[in-house]
Amino acid sequence: MPSSVPADIPNTAGTALPAAAPRSSGLSLLASELRVLFGRRRTWALLLALAAIPVLIAVAVKVSSAVPPGRGPAFLDRITQNGLFVAFTAMLVSVPLFMPLTVGVVAGDTIAGEASLGTLRYLLVAPAGRVRLLLVKYAGALAFCIVAPLTVGLAGAAIGAALFPVGPVTLLSGGVVQPSEAALRIVLIAAYLAVSLAGLSAIGLFLSTLTVVPVGAMAATVVVSVVSQVADQLPQLEWLHPWLFSHYWLGFGDMLRQPLAWDSFASNAILQAGYVAVFGALAYGRFVTKDILS
Amino acid sequence: MGSNTLDSSGRSQEKRSWRNVTDGRRMWLRWLPAVAAPLVIAAGALAGSLPAGASNPLPAKTPAQVLELAASHQVHSFSGTVEQSAELGLPGLPATGKPSAPAAAGSAASVIELLSGKHTARVYLDGKDNARVQVMDQLAERDVVRHGSDVWFYSSKDNTAAHVTLPEHAQDPSLSKDHHMAGVTPTPAELAQKFLAKVDPTTAVSVGPDVSVAGRAAYNLLIEPRTDATLVGKVAIAVDGENGMPLSLQVTARGADTPAFRSGFTSLSLDAPDQSVFNFTPPPGSTVKELPVPDKPRDAPDVHSPGGMHPDARKDVSVTGTGWETVLGTARGSAAAADSLLQDPLLSQAAVAVPGGRLLSTALLNVLVTDDGRIFAGMVPPERLQAAAAAAQ
Repeated sequence: MPSSVPADIPNTAGTALPAAAPRSSGLSLLASELRVLFGRRRTWALLLALAAIPVLIAVAVKVSSAVPPGRGPAFLDRITQNGLFVAFTAMLVSVPLFMPLTVGVVAGDTIAGEASLGTLRYLLVAPAGRVRLLLVKYAGALAFCIVAPLTVGLAGAAIGAALFPVGPVTLLSGGVVQPSEAALRIVLIAAYLAVSLAGLSAIGLFLSTLTVVPVGAMAATVVVSVVSQVADQLPQLEWLHPWLFSHYWLGFGDMLRQPLAWDSFASNAILQAGYVAVFGALAYGRFVTKDILS
Repeated sequence: MGSNTLDSSGRSQEKRSWRNVTDGRRMWLRWLPAVAAPLVIAAGALAGSLPAGASNPLPAKTPAQVLELAASHQVHSFSGTVEQSAELGLPGLPATGKPSAPAAAGSAASVIELLSGKHTARVYLDGKDNARVQVMDQLAERDVVRHGSDVWFYSSKDNTAAHVTLPEHAQDPSLSKDHHMAGVTPTPAELAQKFLAKVDPTTAVSVGPDVSVAGRAAYNLLIEPRTDATLVGKVAIAVDGENGMPLSLQVTARGADTPAFRSGFTSLSLDAPDQSVFNFTPPPGSTVKELPVPDKPRDAPDVHSPGGMHPDARKDVSVTGTGWETVLGTARGSAAAADSLLQDPLLSQAAVAVPGGRLLSTALLNVLVTDDGRIFAGMVPPERLQAAAAAAQ
């Protein structure tokens, strides 16, 4: 991964000349950020680990005997009848830990990673400005939030289709939809999860501005997500529950109802927007007043 | 950042200190969004939680007029979301891990599960023959669909469906019976009707300040028992100011500040729902059970009347006291009923030993199972149940 970072520098330095065109500079900065992020072996390792979850589930169900209904995570017992349920099961299983873990790694690395490599000041030498760099870094983390659930869903649908029959999918309401609409529902759930992870990414971004040790920011982000989920389970903290960013994480079941229930999607989006605003502002306050030493 | 640099040139020193001041101010300005964002959110949340001001006050009405408005309401097609939350003091059910608990309709545990904690349900109603209730659990759903004389129950958790064909004579009475049989979250309309029927000289009925429920202005009908010998402190029913439909119900225990039970619409549309929601065919792969036709629907266990938790408990019912102080009891000890009631792990856990039997105590209802197997229940303090049990012996 260090080898990919210097490739970044000539790019931003190249766009440094037309200072009169800040918008194009921001866009090319974003493009280079995405190129670096998704060119990294680490990012691919994270996505591969996520894609391994549905594969593991599908193979385990394939080689073992039938799962009795009501046992294990939701949808697990449906897999043998319909391979598309691998995608739903895998997304459900990966929400509490694997998604926050991978997002924590990416978001925690945003600023601290550059700082630890000593490349942060080069990025800021270009007339990009700290605000723009922060926005671009956050956009990169968001891009990963979009790609990660999609990876799980699509890998699940693919391995499910390969190992099990694919047919009309029974929704939670008892209605049945064709596989094409089921694929749309998978994408909707991925969108729901992408929105769900936006708040955590903002927290990771803020934590990343606090330190030059990326591992610290990553670990702290993951710990925050675990703490939030534990707090969400404690009935004594019920007043706090609607304010926890993980509160609606498992609400994506609403995407599997007939008619579709958008309430939790909307509540989740508002909640995550609040977290993005608060921690984005904190990250801004910290990053623009920080002495960049590396 | 030393501002008092010993510079030879006084002018440059002055300039530098001026720059430091503006730098400091700019530093603070940069933290401003971080301070402002939580404040704006807090202000927004506060504004949202405040009761909506009576921008367009409803014409004043007496309690009798509001009751009449509610009794004569003619809303037979709507779709909406109902939220119910109850803090009855029962042990909370684990949200996950009890595979069969929410699914087994009709069992005492499933009734208690539905009456405790928080539930959200979507309710669709069109005419008297089309209804659908969707209890939205996390990653699961329980459905009751009535389409004409077909009634379907569906639970997504174990993918089971049950079907009942209603006999002809059961088609005209109100839908409420069907919902009660299923043990599904009742609509506010049904619950409010029950309380309106209780209004008699034992009760003070008044109309409070207007409230807003699901964005609709509503009369707030307040019902307060005139006696101290009941657990119920206050019942508030929101009656739609336009069409008289009951929109929410809150029951507060005596001496409590917050309602122990509340059920109300969070959104409501009076348009006729799309007919497709009333069509139900059991999904492929589901277990379908054909339930026997209910001959006498009136005998169906009514989960909302005290003592209705188990069908057996309705045999030989004795009634002591009137109004709010009513105590229902089984006259003879039917040990089997008591045993089966206490066999439920949840109930046996919640019941505490008291002199003369075991007491299941909630904020609004007490149930006493005596040592010889009789059951007494009422919205009264436990002492009254014990007294009734002793008197009946």
